[in-house]
Amino acid sequence: MSQESGATWGALRRAFVVAPALRKGLGLTLVLTAIGTALRIVVPFAVQQILDGQLFQDAPIDGGAILLKGGIAGIAMVVSALAARAATIRLTRSAAAGLSDLRVMTFAHLQGLSALHTESERRGALVARITSDPETIARFMEWGGPGLIVGSAQIVLAVGAMMWFDWRLTMVVLVGVGIYAVALLWFQDILRRAHDKVRVLVGKSLTAVGESISGLPVIRAFGVEAETADRVRTALDAQFDAEYRTGRLGAFLFSSAEVFAGAINGLVVVVGVALGTQGSLSAGTLVAFLFLINLFVEPIQMLVEVIDQAQSAGSGLRRILGVLDTPSDVPEVSPRDAIVLPEDMLDVSFDGVRFRYPDGEADVLVDVSVCISKGENVAVVGETGSGKTTFAKLVTRLMDTSAGSVRLGGVPVRAIQFADLRSRIAYVPQEGFLFDTTIEANVRYGKLSATQDEIRNAFAELGLTTWIDSLVDGLATEVGERGSQLSAGERQLVALTRAWIAQPSLLVLDEATSAVDPALDVQLRQAMERITRSRTSVTIAHRLSTAEAADRVLVFADGVLVEDGDHTTLLEQQGVYALMHEDWARGTTG
Amino acid sequence: MADPSDNPTLRAVLATGFRLVGRYISWHPVAFGLAVLGAGMFASAIIGAALFVGSIADTVLRPIIEEGEPAGNRAIVAGLALLGIATWKATGIVVRRTAAGYLQYRTQADVRQRLVDKQLSLTLAWYQQRSVGDLLAVSDADAQGATFVLAPLPYGAAAAALLLGTMVMVFFVDLTLGIIVLFSLVVVLAVNLWGSWQMFQAYERIQARRGDVSDTAHESFDGALTVKALGREDYETSRLEAKSQALRDELVTVGVLRGNLRAIVDTLPPLTSVVVLVVGAFRYDAGAVSPGDLVAITYLLSQLMFPIRLVGFVLWEIAASVAAWRRVGGVLDSDEVQQHGILEGTSDGSGADLSTDAVAFSYEPGQEILSDIDLTIEPGTTIAIVGPTGSGKSTLVMLLARLWDPISGVITLDARDLRDFAPSELPTEVSFVGQEAFLFDDSVSGNIGLGIITEGAVIKEAADLAAATEFIDLLPNGFATKVGERGASLSGGQRQRIALARALARRPRLLILDDATSAVDPSVESRIQAALSSSNMPATVVLVAYRPSSIRLADSIVYVEDGRIVAHATHDELMRTQPGYSRLMLAYERDAEGRAGNVSGAPL
Repeated sequence: MSQESGATWGALRRAFVVAPALRKGLGLTLVLTAIGTALRIVVPFAVQQILDGQLFQDAPIDGGAILLKGGIAGIAMVVSALAARAATIRLTRSAAAGLSDLRVMTFAHLQGLSALHTESERRGALVARITSDPETIARFMEWGGPGLIVGSAQIVLAVGAMMWFDWRLTMVVLVGVGIYAVALLWFQDILRRAHDKVRVLVGKSLTAVGESISGLPVIRAFGVEAETADRVRTALDAQFDAEYRTGRLGAFLFSSAEVFAGAINGLVVVVGVALGTQGSLSAGTLVAFLFLINLFVEPIQMLVEVIDQAQSAGSGLRRILGVLDTPSDVPEVSPRDAIVLPEDMLDVSFDGVRFRYPDGEADVLVDVSVCISKGENVAVVGETGSGKTTFAKLVTRLMDTSAGSVRLGGVPVRAIQFADLRSRIAYVPQEGFLFDTTIEANVRYGKLSATQDEIRNAFAELGLTTWIDSLVDGLATEVGERGSQLSAGERQLVALTRAWIAQPSLLVLDEATSAVDPALDVQLRQAMERITRSRTSVTIAHRLSTAEAADRVLVFADGVLVEDGDHTTLLEQQGVYALMHEDWARGTTG
Repeated sequence: MADPSDNPTLRAVLATGFRLVGRYISWHPVAFGLAVLGAGMFASAIIGAALFVGSIADTVLRPIIEEGEPAGNRAIVAGLALLGIATWKATGIVVRRTAAGYLQYRTQADVRQRLVDKQLSLTLAWYQQRSVGDLLAVSDADAQGATFVLAPLPYGAAAAALLLGTMVMVFFVDLTLGIIVLFSLVVVLAVNLWGSWQMFQAYERIQARRGDVSDTAHESFDGALTVKALGREDYETSRLEAKSQALRDELVTVGVLRGNLRAIVDTLPPLTSVVVLVVGAFRYDAGAVSPGDLVAITYLLSQLMFPIRLVGFVLWEIAASVAAWRRVGGVLDSDEVQQHGILEGTSDGSGADLSTDAVAFSYEPGQEILSDIDLTIEPGTTIAIVGPTGSGKSTLVMLLARLWDPISGVITLDARDLRDFAPSELPTEVSFVGQEAFLFDDSVSGNIGLGIITEGAVIKEAADLAAATEFIDLLPNGFATKVGERGASLSGGQRQRIALARALARRPRLLILDDATSAVDPSVESRIQAALSSSNMPATVVLVAYRPSSIRLADSIVYVEDGRIVAHATHDELMRTQPGYSRLMLAYERDAEGRAGNVSGAPL
């Protein structure tokens, strides 16, 4: 645990460097916290002063002295309250600002990592770096953090005050509370392990409940409602049993700690009276001690609970820093070394290109050398996993080669600045991702300065005016989350127009695989034809009809470019392409 | 999440909250009673400790230490008594936490079970109107949130008892001091309640802002390829930054609120202690109180900090639970329950006769998806339903399996109205396989048998027919292999083949396939079709398909356009008489011919 807390501490220091807003004004905040806490021990002092000085004396009381002492105590408390208030507000402010900076920074950095689009299964985990991880840290900074600071300060001050009153009684309390703290840590550990077991069962019952919802149509279709309800009941009961058992254990452990605290109080009375009879301790001091023990024990209970929070905040922070420390795998060229792409159409050349994922075992692309001339329309075909998508991503520099070079218009892609590159080439991915806004705004994403007329024209140039006009709200149609209000084919139409409006010199298209309705299919095909007509294009073809229409077909198998030629030539070769074509034709014609 | 349209008042929330709590208590009254008993023990221990500390100040500490009386064993007795009180308190904690834990966890499981039972009884039309994500959130986070109030409730009851006990004790000691303490506690509770309510509302706003940040990050990452391909990384970052800063500002607002609230709630009780001491000293002078009384009162006040905070916490939890319960109640109170009759199914596997009479369907009044559907399907025949996207094909087959009910008209199976079947009886005769093959987190055979069919031979035979055995045998544990959540370890085509086997294992009299083999390779699909036609399965088959190869296998074809049956005939006839149908069938060929100039395409 000490190693882990050391790592947490290191991560915190790093975070202070990366997001300076986190530590801005932290010094003053700590001072304010200390003042706010210091004055909480005013009450025991006031009790001792008034008891010993006045009430336990046989002489009549001195009203003036009492009012003075009470007044000082009251003022001290108001000052304490104001200081604590200021500290809370300052802490929230710097935590909120620092975490927002950290979040934005992490987001910006993630944008530069290709894992975001190559490893879609990790996407959920990456979103967590932006959402739940900063929240874990925020929760700690808002609740646990101040608790930790106030609690520690309170412990130090209470011990200091006890020492000032009587060091021998303090020793009794320290030894007692020391054992108590160790016991609490041990209990915490036992409970943590019990909770881990509970978590597994919670996961299982969530799956069972979740399936009863997502699978409802299947459950209904097969009439297995009763079986499903039983399955859920079993999982929920198992979860309940584990939770209840852990709850009982927790109740038992923590209440035994309470007995311990009582024992310390009793011991202090016994030892205190013994010391008092020797004349070295006043009755008021002993009463003040009983107050101070409370101020001491309470933060220890809290600190033990805060440790857990601190650990999860620490690991959240370390995960975020881990992202920030991952270097961008497709780095931007420095302006000094940058070469500007030539005007007009672009050709593409691959020379001895290999590609392998950083943690991959085999090459995804093996020794690919090929030239695509200016204005040529090329189709790329191959089975799933043959390397055709990798090929497209290397052309557009969404990833970098492991060996060999890719050139566009004669310029090595690594020497082209991203702003230049992205304004000259367009990549239309298979799924035609749309943002949750209007069609117009989605197209404008391709060219931020585009006016409404330009956008309307773009649809017209692709022969899509009839389609746009057939929508009730036209360009202002809301497409819904991920474009769900449109069909797959319609989404592809918008994505194509978005690429078209950027007027790229090189277009890389990943064809949609999903079935579209024939009428829409014709429009999609025409739009694709128009958009590729006067520029170099690379289309990843899932329908062999697209390959038939291309100037040239590249066939990939297991990462190797196995065939290269036009449709007719390749059919005659009786190779991989001819076999694929046969299978495809069977499916479409019956 | 905060819904700006309904902003409930504190009064309304409390009223609903207390009713909700009452309902939970009525489910498990004994556990609640025990929890409150434990809480009472706990509260009495705290008050007892304070009284005892006060009394030892008067009877032990002062006489022995200040006045030199012989100690005897009084100090030891006092120490043991403090230990005894602590043990009483600890027992109270065990009783309270155990009973409260039972109450909360059991109620949470009960709420989830009720939700699942209810959802299983509701119509799919109801299900269709809700997003699956929302329903999952109701069963998960909302079911938990709705019971959160139970966690601090017993302690809250104890805190209330403690505050009341404190008041009684102080008034018993001295009227003047009683008034001071009463005034202070009333102020601090009022401020705390008001502040907690403000904080709760602010917290709902924070949740909404958090949702914005999360939605933006999700959307941006889902579209990562598009963002990158268009070079819009900076634009996306500025979009997230705006959301993140809105969240930051809301957090700061709440921080200020919390700072103010804390300053008042945490300071008033100790300040009251000092006032009590000062005023108490004068009352002592007047002979009204003893020093021990003052010690007891101040000691008790020093213990009230946490219980007072907790009262605000309980209010917060009530508000949160009410918000969550509203969503839970939205499901539990739904009256769209699937109605059933008493007919039992026969499962001899013979082909069923299916017919529809003037069937119409719409999701929303006035927007008919299907109308005038009159269809008769002979037993043992295979028919294909064909039409353009959005023509109502899928809706039609769902009606045939009674996944939905028509708005008007009747669907009969061997002259029996589908709605007259008893629960779970119709599926013994009708099997439906959709395009999305949903698999449960279970073994392959568990997914085929669904807990009803357990004979290995039946499952194996069904898997053979669905051309699934060939890949199942290669799995690590064959038919016993766990497929993972939603069958994540399998490909789309493999999942579809298991779903098909699931339907075949029942030897249905009517088999409905809604594009059920869309992800299966054409060559595998043709093997499945061959196996089916050569098997001894006399079922009537209705299928929705896109591939001409699948459509060609049907005995007759129902051609649908705009929610109406345009024609019901053989493929050749439809090719001659229905231009829409032939255009659809020829789409691929036309396309190929247009481009390559010549080309293939075996004549249909």
